[in-house]
Amino acid sequence: MSDLVGADHIVAGPGAARYVVDSKLARAVVFPGSVEEVSTTMAFASAEGLKVVPRGSGTKMALGGIPDRVDLVVVLSRLNGVVDYEPADMTATFRAGSLLKEAQAVLGRNGQFIGLDPPYADLATLGGILATNSSGPRRLRYGASRDLVIAIRVVHADGKVTKGGAKVVKNVTGYDMNKLYIGSLGTLGIIVEATFRLHPMPAVERTCLASLDSVDAARDVVARILDSPLVPFAVELLNPEASRRVAEQAGLPWPKARCGLAVAIGSIRPEAVDAQLETVRRLCREAGAAEGHVLDGQVHDAFWRATRDFALGDGLQVVLKASVLLTKVADAVRVGEEVAAKQGLRLGVVSEAGSGIIRYHLTGEAASDERFRQGVAEAVNRLRAFAQEAEGNVVVLDAPPEVKSRVDVWGLAEKALPFMRRPKAEFDPQRILNPGRFVGGI
Amino acid sequence: MDKERIARELIGIVGSDGVATDPGELRVYETDGLTIFKAMPDIVVLPRSAEQVAGVVKVCHRERIPFVARGAGTGLSGGALPVDGGILIGLNRMNRVLDIDYENQRAVVEPGLVNVWLTNALAPRGYYYSPDPASQTACSIGGNVAENSGGPRTPKYGVTTNHVLGLEVVLPDGDIVNFGGRTLDPLGYDLTGIFVGSEGTFGIATKVIVRIMRTPEAVKTLMGVFETIEDASNTVSEIVGQGIVPAAIEMMDNNSIQAVEKGVAAGYPLDAVAVLLVEVDGPKEEVEALVGPIIEVCKANHVREVRVAKDENERLLLWKGRKAAFAAMGQISPEYYVQDSVIPRTKLPPVMKLIGELSQKYGLRVANVFHAGDGNLHPLILYNSANEGELRKAEEMGAEIVKACVEMGGSLTGEHGIGLEKRDFMPLMFNDDDLEAMRKIKKVFDPDGLLNPGKIFPAAMRGGEVGPAGQREALDKVLRRA
Ligand SMILES: Cc1cc2nc3c(=O)[nH]c(=O)nc-3n(C[C@H](O)[C@H](O)[C@H](O)COP(=O)(O)OP(=O)(O)OC[C@H]3O[C@@H](n4cnc5c(N)ncnc54)[C@H](O)[C@@H]3O)c2cc1C
Repeated sequence: MSDLVGADHIVAGPGAARYVVDSKLARAVVFPGSVEEVSTTMAFASAEGLKVVPRGSGTKMALGGIPDRVDLVVVLSRLNGVVDYEPADMTATFRAGSLLKEAQAVLGRNGQFIGLDPPYADLATLGGILATNSSGPRRLRYGASRDLVIAIRVVHADGKVTKGGAKVVKNVTGYDMNKLYIGSLGTLGIIVEATFRLHPMPAVERTCLASLDSVDAARDVVARILDSPLVPFAVELLNPEASRRVAEQAGLPWPKARCGLAVAIGSIRPEAVDAQLETVRRLCREAGAAEGHVLDGQVHDAFWRATRDFALGDGLQVVLKASVLLTKVADAVRVGEEVAAKQGLRLGVVSEAGSGIIRYHLTGEAASDERFRQGVAEAVNRLRAFAQEAEGNVVVLDAPPEVKSRVDVWGLAEKALPFMRRPKAEFDPQRILNPGRFVGGI
Repeated sequence: MDKERIARELIGIVGSDGVATDPGELRVYETDGLTIFKAMPDIVVLPRSAEQVAGVVKVCHRERIPFVARGAGTGLSGGALPVDGGILIGLNRMNRVLDIDYENQRAVVEPGLVNVWLTNALAPRGYYYSPDPASQTACSIGGNVAENSGGPRTPKYGVTTNHVLGLEVVLPDGDIVNFGGRTLDPLGYDLTGIFVGSEGTFGIATKVIVRIMRTPEAVKTLMGVFETIEDASNTVSEIVGQGIVPAAIEMMDNNSIQAVEKGVAAGYPLDAVAVLLVEVDGPKEEVEALVGPIIEVCKANHVREVRVAKDENERLLLWKGRKAAFAAMGQISPEYYVQDSVIPRTKLPPVMKLIGELSQKYGLRVANVFHAGDGNLHPLILYNSANEGELRKAEEMGAEIVKACVEMGGSLTGEHGIGLEKRDFMPLMFNDDDLEAMRKIKKVFDPDGLLNPGKIFPAAMRGGEVGPAGQREALDKVLRRA
């Protein structure tokens, strides 16, 4: 391996401990510096039958099932920077190990950005965000990775390098291979480059933050906002615990035991933003919400950063993500609160009410570790049953291996599995890449 | 194949009014919107349900008969042509809206539903389905899914794939499977995503779950009249450069204007070198705020006249001209051959110049009417097949345009698909390894290669050529140029 990437870019033994995957220690951690080095590393791994776990900054390594085996961790962080960027075309290509934050900084100089704001957006790499299909509040307006990536370069299990898509905003040449790799958790190939369609940064962004005495009260307001001609870029519903913490980080007072509803509007013109915010405030008032704050400038940014990166304090933590019908979001939050109370867990909920995505953050409070694990397992089962009725799903985004060994972190229905296995069988028949981490143990 | 025996079995599945074998009846299906290619199916079947589709497909699978789905047959790349003969499955009888769920912003439709019917059904409640190909009064949603169709509104709202969330699919072995659903982020691989744009080679979509959206509160359409293509192109770039995201930016050149004005009298000035249609939509105040800056950009780029449609009638008339442009070509030419390449927007001026030069070189007129906002060209090469060799010249010229666009960093096709027409151009963009990855995913869905053979992959990759001899010759000639 040293011959392939250079002795300075490989770590084994105690130094590899930082890179454990679900407490499994790799035989070596490699840091390839080019697409070619990723390719030779993979060719070597498949010739030797080594199991490979690709890694970016490591913000989402807790996602997925516990890997069957970890021989090599391939860290993409050296593979960073802009490949090409033409502001007037509003497209840009980055190496996959680039931090989203760095990419946004480059694009921001021209008033442009990638419409992604996933959790830990300041630490996450583009490759990691795409592989995990990670998204945040802005998704309502800008879509998710599948809507923003227009071309991709991938190193396959055998080391072959291929591309899909084209570096233009509209293209149907051949199959849309981008879709295959996005969200596939590195089980079909390692993403080494991605081209994004960009958006102009709105000159003005403001948010109406209203407080409500229950999630049920939010149901009606959210429905009315979504059924109106307003075009918010985010509609976020937070439970009291999350509201309090987020408000605190944004330096805002927050009334006790009230839910928060944040509706964000952006435009190139302030008058257009204010007119829409006025409508939002009226709808909130009519639904009995307390007169909301209007967030602007630094407070606005701080509020959304805290929401995006929401986390409970220290201690054992688990994060679950549910996807449900829009009409079921408020219920999903309520069911979460019920099950958390029953299990004696503390719960912070941030939900993208306009997209039907809910993030549950659970900690154990005073519960023993064993009690906590048991409680989480119960919560997953209860929420999964609810989500399935709401035509969606629940995924364990982040949990220690002791919790993961008790629950199916994905929960894919048995009958969908045989077909799901087929792409893996074609693209990585030796099961070199991330074995065991994806749905159904793929 | 034993046509009579198979036909009898198919009648057992779909009824006698759903099976055609008579050459007279089959003729309707021998070509699609791209009329230069022809191929006859042996049998046409018109099922009414997913179960019937599955029944028909099972017969094909058992008997190893090639088969192909067809929606409305408006495709422009020969995608629905049965190049190996076999069975053609027409989906136009499966044309119901199954469910509209306004609160969850979803609709579930059958694949044969005509695109605009969905928006017509949603309009009374103030909703619509965004992808709006110019052919939307005829093309089917199933065809849109297969081609990942676009339309004028894509700069702001995206193409079909951004609006399709789930599918029911009959796989080539007759199994009925579901991908995705009404909620976002379904578990596992994004099978809906990879299916959209697979040009009818992965399976037959029998149900489509789409996103529906609230109709914008306000909409304004501007027409800018320009003396040079360059000014019009720069206007496009600068509008976008201002941070404005118009719903649509369309360009038409003088030949297109001539045809449209003869056809539908949309009110475009006959002496204009280029006309831009720019549409902005959204909340009232937002739209009001955007009109001024757009007019300023037009002026800075020497617009001769800029007109904001004063009412809905005038707005619709401006759009009618654009949407009827292909059909209106009949006013100025017996036939046309349209290309669909994409270029990075900044390459618009050089590529338009090149098209002008090629037009001179080949002695064929070109009408350009296209989606300027996303650099998706539609040069309509005008020809008359009654003139010896003219079609051949048109094809060669088209090939040169495609090649140039790819060399400028663009793509072979933005919305019409590769199909039969452009399969041999694929190596211009993708090497053998890239194509092999695509072939693997094809195998995931259709290991026996029975569904819609002869499409997308270059002939050299397929092991043996297929299709009628005349068509092969035309392709070869184009290829030698490419
Ligand atoms: C005048 C004119 C204007 C046009 N304008 C546009 C435009 O603005 N934007 C644009 O994108 N396109 C445009 N097109 C092209 C065409 O209308 C689109 O490609 C359309 O989506 C084709 O739909 P169809 O129902 O006619 O499909 P068909 O032509 O019948 O079939 C197209 C492909 O889809 C497959 N298919 C059909 N139904 C299914 C199904 N249920 N499941 C799986 N595969 C299926 C077929 O096998 C075939 O490969 C235009 C065409 C014309 C003639």
